[in-house]
Amino acid sequence: MARPRRAGARREALAAYAFIAPNYLLLLIFVLVPLVGAFLVSLQRTDGFGDGTFTGLDNYARLASDPLFWRSLGNTLLFTAIVTPLSMAFGLFAAVMLNSALPARPVLRSLLILPMAVSGVATALIGVLIFDQNSGALNKIAQLFGLPSIDWQSQAGPAFASIVIATVWWRTGFNMLIYLAGLQGLGPDLYEAARLDGAGAWQRFRNVTLPLLGPTTFFLVILNVIYSFQVFDIVFVLTGGGPGGATSVLVTYAYETGFVTRDQGYAAAIGMVLFLFALLFAAGQWRASRTRDLVE
Amino acid sequence: MTLSRRGFLIGAGAVSLPVLLAGCGFVPQSTPTQRTGTLTFTTWGTDAELAGFRTAIAAFESANPGQTVTLNAVPYEQMFSNIDAQLQAGNPPDIFRVPYYTFGAYAGRGQLLDLKPLLSSDRQAQFTEPAWAAVQNQGGVFGLPHHTDTSAILVNTELLAAAGITEVPTSVEDAWTWEELAAIGDKLRGGLPSGTYPWAYNWQGNGVTRWLSLLFQADGAFLQSDQKTPAIDSDAARKAVEFSSSFFSKGYVPANNTINSSSYASESWFSQSVAMVWSGAFQIPDADATATFDWTATFAPRDVRTGGDFGGNALVATANTAQPELAASFLEFMTDAEQMRDFCAAASLLPTRGDLLNGDLKFDVRPELAPIFAAQAGGVQPQDVAQVASPSMSAIIPVLKEQLDLAFTGAQDAATTVQNLQSGIATAIGA
Repeated sequence: MARPRRAGARREALAAYAFIAPNYLLLLIFVLVPLVGAFLVSLQRTDGFGDGTFTGLDNYARLASDPLFWRSLGNTLLFTAIVTPLSMAFGLFAAVMLNSALPARPVLRSLLILPMAVSGVATALIGVLIFDQNSGALNKIAQLFGLPSIDWQSQAGPAFASIVIATVWWRTGFNMLIYLAGLQGLGPDLYEAARLDGAGAWQRFRNVTLPLLGPTTFFLVILNVIYSFQVFDIVFVLTGGGPGGATSVLVTYAYETGFVTRDQGYAAAIGMVLFLFALLFAAGQWRASRTRDLVE
Repeated sequence: MTLSRRGFLIGAGAVSLPVLLAGCGFVPQSTPTQRTGTLTFTTWGTDAELAGFRTAIAAFESANPGQTVTLNAVPYEQMFSNIDAQLQAGNPPDIFRVPYYTFGAYAGRGQLLDLKPLLSSDRQAQFTEPAWAAVQNQGGVFGLPHHTDTSAILVNTELLAAAGITEVPTSVEDAWTWEELAAIGDKLRGGLPSGTYPWAYNWQGNGVTRWLSLLFQADGAFLQSDQKTPAIDSDAARKAVEFSSSFFSKGYVPANNTINSSSYASESWFSQSVAMVWSGAFQIPDADATATFDWTATFAPRDVRTGGDFGGNALVATANTAQPELAASFLEFMTDAEQMRDFCAAASLLPTRGDLLNGDLKFDVRPELAPIFAAQAGGVQPQDVAQVASPSMSAIIPVLKEQLDLAFTGAQDAATTVQNLQSGIATAIGA
């Protein structure tokens, strides 16, 4: 038997649609339309001027045999796999510390949040001053202590490490802020109960704090992974993708292909692959996460 | 007289027809001096360059009442992604500034106005041969060469003296040969403190085209004269790759002086990490203001012949500008002798007019160095410039960057590098 409709339900539904309509409209104009446009461009051979030539899936077939694409994809995944857990772990550690009764807590919080106010390009420019292997601060300090200099710019490993370090420094403050908000939403009664049950500090953190921060962690993992997939400014300014493609990531490769080589169809295909990865990850994470909706 | 409705419409049509036809380009336009209109002009630039453009625009507006030019100055990093987007969207500026190595990408794809029918008859004769070659494409003239710049060598005389080198070449004919330069490199390696290198080469950013100077010095080429056939598979190219790779293998340059480095060569020179740096004259004002050591300039080396990069920029009008004649008259004005002399003197750039490239050429800063850069520019051959202005240059540049980077890091020998350059360039130009 059909459930009787509540009086005014139809009007409420209409009001709800009216409220969300502007969001859907903006999503349609600024996300879906460009996305479909990019997909259509990815099926063409075009330099962006005039009409392109429809080439079907040729650009996608080219990806399979392009070593720089695979290297950029590998670098993107490696960068994501390192930066996401590191910056979240540091952010959580800092949030837990700064949620307790530390001296000068507001100052420390402000210092950690400060990098958020700096743009990615500015962060990378600061990174250049630090990691320049001839005149950068790190090698100068190493020399002062008689330590060997590191080839931050001409060796693949150190160059990759430099973009990871710069990014982790930049992202930790944001993760700390979100975790801090999550921590401050947790009431003291659970901790008090755990303490009465004899739980130590680590047990309280492991069995109370971490599970209750599940939705926050879920939110941050999605944001950090998508950010890491889309990393561009820090790599572009700090290493330019070098040396020898060692720090090239999908977005810098797409940029080079689209705006330097002007092979815009192929660049769009790289962009679509990136989109696909982000989409698959978000869907997978959504299905797999059991704590995303957990509340105290 | 009674005027019927039909009569009125016919009369009004007759009066307005010439105006409509003129708008469609069916009747000759009035002469530039009688026209009014506004041009939009997009460029990037140093403070000195932008000041020079503003002065020249004010002079143009003053000489042509009713004609105005709106200058849109943007950061270099955004310049061409903006221009590309505007061209694709159909709302580009009337005029923009473009490096010669990017020129072909626009001219070869129908994005620029062919100025040939609009220019004064004596225009071509006023420019140097390489400069004129740089704005040609498929028989058309798609811009006017506004200034040029070529790399010579800035020398930290204190570091050279510390290594026992007290003299540098003072004429282009006496420029160091490649062998002499290598000997200088060895001497500097022995005489400089550890962590200080003989020189740095300015091939970072989009500067990989400056490696071509070495190719040209070895009398090599990367495209045949048709600009459609790769020509880099040669002994000259192998020699140029070997010589430039030796900069790294013999420690003449810092290890991070690679093509993809985020640190520019000039930064190493300013910080005294290197004794010499390949540099355009545009660096002179900065060097004069900030270098804390004694410095001078000398000529780039020579091998089979002298050779250099044809840097600098042209001014171009977009194909769909609504005011082609006004645009052409503005471009002519900007390349008149007085405007070009003032602009180049203030910005430490080289003129592209033959009548200005003489002993009277003076920069506002360190004027005694102007003849060195002018003489270096004189060694640039038109056939070298024509290759760099190829429509396929934007696709060739990534090939050069990738393959030379592999050679410099020791991952690939010269013969393989040249083979890969040949096949990569062939793919880039669709040969």
